[in-house]
Formats: sequence, structure tokens, C-alpha cells
Amino acid sequence: MANLSSLIKSGVSRRKFLAGVGASAGAVAALNIAGCGGSSKTTPVNPSAPTDADILNFALNLEYLEASFYLYAATGSGLDAADTTAGSASTYQTVGTVTVGDAAAVTGLTPAQQQILNEIAFEEQAHVRFLRSALGSAAIPMPDIDLSFFGPLAVAATITTAATGAGSFNPFSSFDYFLVGAFIFEDVGVTAYSGAAPLISPAGVTAGYLTAAAGIMAVEAYHAGYVRTSLTGRAIAAGSAAAYPYLAAANLVEALRATLTVGDSAAPSTSGSVETLLTLPTGLTTPSSIVAASAADAVGFARTVNQVLHIVYGSPTVGVKSGGFFPNGINSIFATTTA
Amino acid sequence: MANQETQLLDEIIVSSRRKMLTLGVSSLAGLALGASATSAKAAPAYTDADILNFALNLEYLEANFYYLATFGTTIDKPNAASMAAGAPAITLSGTVGTAGTVSGGSQVPFTTTQVASYAIETAVEEGKHVQLLLTALGSSAVAQPAINLGTSFPALATAAKIPGGSGFSPYANDQAFLVGAYVFEDVGVTAYHGAASLLTSSANLTTAAGILAVEAYHAGLVRTTINYIDPTGASIASYTNLISTLRAELSQAGLLGAAPSAYDANPDDFGLATFSVSLGSGANTTATRITDADSTNVIAFARNTTQVLNIVTGGGAVNGSVAVSPATGVFFPAGMNAGPNGFK
Repeated sequence: MANLSSLIKSGVSRRKFLAGVGASAGAVAALNIAGCGGSSKTTPVNPSAPTDADILNFALNLEYLEASFYLYAATGSGLDAADTTAGSASTYQTVGTVTVGDAAAVTGLTPAQQQILNEIAFEEQAHVRFLRSALGSAAIPMPDIDLSFFGPLAVAATITTAATGAGSFNPFSSFDYFLVGAFIFEDVGVTAYSGAAPLISPAGVTAGYLTAAAGIMAVEAYHAGYVRTSLTGRAIAAGSAAAYPYLAAANLVEALRATLTVGDSAAPSTSGSVETLLTLPTGLTTPSSIVAASAADAVGFARTVNQVLHIVYGSPTVGVKSGGFFPNGINSIFATTTA
Repeated sequence: MANQETQLLDEIIVSSRRKMLTLGVSSLAGLALGASATSAKAAPAYTDADILNFALNLEYLEANFYYLATFGTTIDKPNAASMAAGAPAITLSGTVGTAGTVSGGSQVPFTTTQVASYAIETAVEEGKHVQLLLTALGSSAVAQPAINLGTSFPALATAAKIPGGSGFSPYANDQAFLVGAYVFEDVGVTAYHGAASLLTSSANLTTAAGILAVEAYHAGLVRTTINYIDPTGASIASYTNLISTLRAELSQAGLLGAAPSAYDANPDDFGLATFSVSLGSGANTTATRITDADSTNVIAFARNTTQVLNIVTGGGAVNGSVAVSPATGVFFPAGMNAGPNGFK
């Protein structure tokens, strides 16, 4: 993907356009973000007018995080150093480090389970490489990433006490814990791409960015479908919610994510929420709840940049610019939450 | 009143225009970020309503399949089972085009909670998609066309070279149902993906993106469940490879004139067979393929309307290197109903 300079130019001129035209262009942007699946929402609007490169770099921050998590879980180490470097024209030049914590290859996996971890790790790694390639010299380096944040996050979600009994939460300690760890990210990835796609400029649409973003979103939804199907299926196989506490743990993650989704922080599966709780089907006539989508019309959810950041920073505070999985913030003009 | 000659002329004009549009659409939809794409925005003739109506035809198909398999009824005839599950009873309010009937299909005698519960969930969600599109399109909505959910499956299974394919019924048991669902779900992903960048209204784009996500959740659900049931590819998982190969071939033909060899080098569909990956700085290892995407950038595939039509009509959309309109066959024996200018 060569033409970043023209991409940036179009982004800049678009920004000028937005600044000059003001109200009407702003109204279009607001419509872009707000119109999720026909439900009336009060989704906050990101005030800045990002370039396409800004949007792709925002996604790249998230892909660095996901890829690092899955690669550690699958192999015990992270991204290749060559996949973390700064593009020569990036504002950000410092390559971050990963705080490993308990991160390690998950043990005790069946061959099929290992192959699943390999697949998701490979696919998130491919997204990192793809976005870096698309951005070229504008690619941000990997920011500092803290994989020890799962522990505090689980405590905040009350997972250790309410869901899995004794012992602290460690997504690298077993396949089932891994599923809950993966669950933290996957539905969020879907909503992040869904929220970002309509922000792409007309030039970016012509250049194929919208199609790429939609295609990556679909892959995130395949992953989310895998994780949610696995949690549900293993709970059914175990026979009861008590026999498989990881389902409840995942729902506690959802509840926490909901409180962090500023503007749409209603409890999961209630009106105004962008979360769908997992359920345990009890027989041949009860539905599962694999898909995260609006109850009214089965349309997938979207989150704004700010809402995604509140989750990965682990804070609902407006103005927060670091924390959680990103101890020094993301490498992005969006780093500070504005709503 | 058109005589035979002018009618023929019209057909030629329509078909060449369609081909041009199709190629424009495909280059836009298929390229991801790879190629230079400056001239790709070449499909201005279709409105959002045309595109949403194309999607509505596919949702009619999917929803009726899941309703019949799960509840033993079609989407417009609620019964005790569908009402108990909260599946919407669809008023067939679409009037554009020719209304047809749904043939074949019957309730699956499910024996596992996993598959039965997934079937109910999916049926309800596909029903809501029909409802949503009917509401959004209002008086522009197409009628439900003739849909074949009976003999279509053994025909496709035979074409896919599934062992015993001529006797295949997706309604026989839990596993057969999953294979039947597999036929549809990844196709829905590629269709919405291909359509996304054609939509002009941002509200429609957001909705389409949301439905795309749901189709991908469904596809992930079906592929995950097949993988759990058959992790080594000894039975139904091997059928997914055969189905994906057939879909890729039909899709390739839908590109109208691309070299046949391009299929082998670059299929746009993968079954559940494992593949080799390199992770981090480490050596190669083996991975499943829950995600149906390319092996380099791992971006889900997109298909243009001719490619999708050729799949759901079992090759009825293409004759040599020419698009056939209306495309008929397999699931759509009388073809889809198109919107004002739309895809047939």
C-alpha cells in the first residue's frame, strides 16, 4: 500500500473542510457515529476530525494489544521485534515494552485447543502486519502494554470472589481461563471497528479502507463467535452454571465493560446497553445467546473511540489518557478520552 | 410494446452494463488495501434500496431455512414453537417483483442442547433481519421470491461431491443441520461485506456493518461447533472443505472471465482444514481455520452480487463469461426479486 502521502493529504484537506464548513459536516459525523441499528442512542461524539491514518493507527494500538495477548497465550512470547517498530514519519518513535506478569503459554491444552490459540494469535498478528503495511511510514510503534492488568481487571469485575472461587484470575492458567481473558477483548474489537468504519473519509472508502475495516471487523466477530460458542458449549457440557463458573465470569466482564462504556453504560442486555449477556441453554427449546447484538433487530453494536479507550484503560473517567492495558496510553491523537 | 428484436437488444445492453458494473463492484469490494483503487468507484446506478433488497432476498432464504429447521414452519406462519421462542412472525409486506412459495424443509429432530439452542437463536436473529429490512425498505421492499429448501440441498451436496450427497438432507439430524447452516453463513458475511462500500447513506452503512458482524458471529458459531464435534476432520468437518471449494469455484465464475487458474492460486473460501502459520519469531505450527479469511492479511472475503448470485443459484448466474439475468436455480428456482434497478 503505497500511497500514504495522498492519504494524509486527503485527510488533512478533509479536516480543513470540516473546520471550515463546521456545523453541517459535524452533523454528518455525528450521524455516522450515532446510528447504530435503529436504536435511539445517546452515543457521545468524538470532537476531533481524524484522518484515515489516525483511525487506522487507533486500530493498530488495539491490534498490538490483542496480538500480544494471544501470542503469549499460544507461544509464551510476543510479537516479533520487527512487527513493533515505528514508521519513520510517525509522531511516536519510542517502541514500547510488554509487562509480562503471568503471561505464558497456556498449558494443558488438547491439540485442537492449541490449534485454536495458534489461529487467533496468527490472525491478530496478521492484522498488526497488515495495518503497519497499509500505514507505511506513518505506522505507530507498539505502545507500552501491561498484560498483568488481567488481575486487577478481574478484581474490579469481582470475578475472583463471585465466579471462580479460590485463587486469583489468570487467563494463562487454563483453557477456560483463557476463554474469559479472550472474552475481555473480542466483542470490544467488533464494536471498535463497527464504530470506526463510518469515520473513514470518502477518499479512504475509494482506497479500500472501509472494505478492509469491515473485513477485519468480520474476523473479530468470527473470533468473538468462537469464544462465546466455546464458553456456552462447555457450560452446557458441564451441566450447570455452578459446574462451569467461567460463563458467569464472562458475564461479570460484560458488566464491567458496560460500566466503562461511558454514554451506553446500562447493564448488559438492557435497553441502552451495547452488551449481550451469555446464557446457559437448559434444553432443546431454549435459545443460546452467542451473538452480541440489539435485542430489537439483531444488529451488531458499535462503540466510539472514547468508549473503547475507557475499557482498555480500565477507567470511566473523562480525560483519562493511560492506564489498564496501556500504562502510558496509546500512541494516538485519541489517547485522551474526551467524553 | 417491445418486439423480439428490441427485447433482445435490451437484454444485451442490460447484460453488458451489468457486467461492467459487476467488475467495478468487484474491484472495489475485493481489493482490501492491496491494489491501486482510483478507478474503482464505478457502480453509481444502484441505490441503497437496490442493495438492501438484494440483502433481503438472502435474508428471506436464511430465515426460512432456520425457521423450518427449528420450528417446522415458514417465517410468515407462526406456530407454537416459533412463538415460544420469540421468533418474529413476518408479515410478507414486500410487493415489488413476483411473490413465490417456499418449498421443502422440515423440523430437525434435534438431540443435543448445543445445536438446538444455536438453531433457535439463529432463527430468531435472521427473522429480525427480515423484519428490519422490510421496515427500512417500506413500499420499496421486494416480495419473497420462490425459495427451494428441499431438493436444493442434495443438488448442492452432489455438486460439492459430499459422499452420499444425492441423499443429503440438512433436516435429518443435528450434524446434518450444521452442514446446511454452513452453506449459508459465510456467504452472508461475504455478501454484506461486498455491499458495505456501495451504500451511500451512513446510517445504512452502520446498519449493514452491524448485520455483517452478526452474520460473522453466526458463521463463527457454526464453524466452532463443527470443529468441536469433528476436531480431526473425519466426518462433517471434511464436508466444509468440499462446500467451501464449491463456493469458491462458483464465486470465481461470478467474476466473469477471470482466468480459471486464478481459483487455485487464490480461493475466496476455506473450510475447516488446518493450515500452517508462523507465530512471532518462532517456527511454523498448525492452526485451525474457524475464521474464513485470506491467509496473509486475514481480512474476511467480500463478494460482488454476481458472485453471490452464482453461489445461491448453483451456477445459474453465469453462462461462460456472461452474466445471466435473472439468475435462477437451486435455492431461487425463479430467481431473486430485484429492486427498481436491482440485481437479479
